[in-house]
Amino acid sequence: MNKKTPYILIIPIVLLGVLFIFGVVNGIVQSLGYIPAFGLKSITLDYYISILKNPIFLDSLKLSLQISIVSSILAIILGTILTAALVYTNHTEGRVIQVIKLAILVPYTIVALFLISILSQNGLMARAFYKLGWISSQGEFPLLLYSKNNFGIILGYVWKEVPFVAYFSLSLMNSVNKTLGEASENLGASKLKSFFYITLPLSMPAIRKAFLIILTFSFGAYDLPFLIGATLPKALPVQAHIQYIHPDLRHRPYAMALNGLILLITWIMAFVYYLVTKKKRIKGEINEKY
Amino acid sequence: MKSINSHSLLKFLLYITLFIILVPVLILILWTFASRWPWPKLLPEVYSFRSIKEVLSPHANAFSTLFSSIFLSLTVAVLSAIVGTMTARALVLYDFVGKRVIDLLSIAPILVPGTVFAMGIHIVFIKMSLSDTLLGVIIVHLIYTLPYSINIMKDLTDSIGKEMELQAYVLGASPLKSFRFITLPLLIPGLMSSISMAYIISFSQYFITLLIGGGNVKTFSVLMVPFIAKGDRTLSSAYGLIFIVSTLLIFVLIDRVFKGLSFKTRKEEI
Repeated sequence: MNKKTPYILIIPIVLLGVLFIFGVVNGIVQSLGYIPAFGLKSITLDYYISILKNPIFLDSLKLSLQISIVSSILAIILGTILTAALVYTNHTEGRVIQVIKLAILVPYTIVALFLISILSQNGLMARAFYKLGWISSQGEFPLLLYSKNNFGIILGYVWKEVPFVAYFSLSLMNSVNKTLGEASENLGASKLKSFFYITLPLSMPAIRKAFLIILTFSFGAYDLPFLIGATLPKALPVQAHIQYIHPDLRHRPYAMALNGLILLITWIMAFVYYLVTKKKRIKGEINEKY
Repeated sequence: MKSINSHSLLKFLLYITLFIILVPVLILILWTFASRWPWPKLLPEVYSFRSIKEVLSPHANAFSTLFSSIFLSLTVAVLSAIVGTMTARALVLYDFVGKRVIDLLSIAPILVPGTVFAMGIHIVFIKMSLSDTLLGVIIVHLIYTLPYSINIMKDLTDSIGKEMELQAYVLGASPLKSFRFITLPLLIPGLMSSISMAYIISFSQYFITLLIGGGNVKTFSVLMVPFIAKGDRTLSSAYGLIFIVSTLLIFVLIDRVFKGLSFKTRKEEI
């Protein structure tokens, strides 16, 4: 219609986008030690080098990676099974989906509360164990929250991400199953075979995307490790915030370098995802040709 | 026979999942109304409305915060739907310089954790006097809701296409009028899910609201989290329950408003 129209339509996203990029770049510049307001004016990689040499920060890095990788792998497997269960039992809408949506709606802060009331040493699980005679006092119940094993945090992510994965990949798996999956069954493939050879592989784009989203999210998220994490080591975002609010303002570049590290690893995850999907796409094109 | 077995296994797994989702919510309700629940009792000893009363009492400020917080998140949600629709239309229906940059920009916030962005932009916001203000909080929330709004509106705009609107335009309707009477009614389901999605993202934000709002902008999440951090189960459960119930009510409200809207436009057509 009008040549100017698209440029008018993108005004707000451009303004917000500029602000967004400015925020990210500003953080990166500060991580290189350039904060004139605090009298820091030389550009250096020292802050990155020193966090990578500091055992406290390295433990934080290991912890964050462990939490996000373990919880995301568990969530993607269980989430795919849940998606299949929803598709094959024909529960793609209605009350069951409403319950799934409920889990997506509950914020991580309230998930922390759930975990506290169920898994802490005087929580409901410990009470049930006591009633069953498995433990004789609160102290005998294993420490699952505020502890180095991070059991509670991982469980919290899994609780919220399994429904997310199902909700995210449901429509694709359902449409694949309704068309090609059922066609292969009509041609004589068993249900199991048609799922693993037809429906699952063709649903992978949505499942892979869901995996990237939950992996990067749980790596950079603050709420759960802040509320139910151990005193030491702390997750990277929590550690970064502690450095950020340190009264000595010269700690600021350390906070920003930790943030830079979070960004770098998040982007590596996204880049690997991009490479994998690109390869798959090329392969798909070849398959289509022959 | 075998397929019946696998079917019932899947059904069993499904029910276990639903059970695991619902049980914590039931425990939350029990804790809200438990005034005494000592170890090792499996159920509360005494029930009362004390915690709800305490949260909603005037000195707790929770009631007024709840409403200002709902207002803030609804504002973010509506703005997000509007900007999302505009961006989606530009990306789907037009060719322009920098299209790929905008496309990338629209998903970029997913790849930058909220904490990283908030700490990065904080100084800039202080200089622009946006920190500690409602506008500042709305802007950072908007940045984190937009990827979802744009994605939802892009899919829908793509499926509707341009033809119908063009036809109305060719027949003499102004571009604005053909958008209002042809495309907008078709966009309603997308607008509804975009608004719901953005609302829940905004309403749940804790860290970025706290940092950018700086205690000046109090949202319900910011008020609730200290109680969870302290481990006060009764009061934090009351906050949690109010959080969940109010969100469900807002979703019903959004649903009603949009059902009413689509009904109205249909009547106008007749």
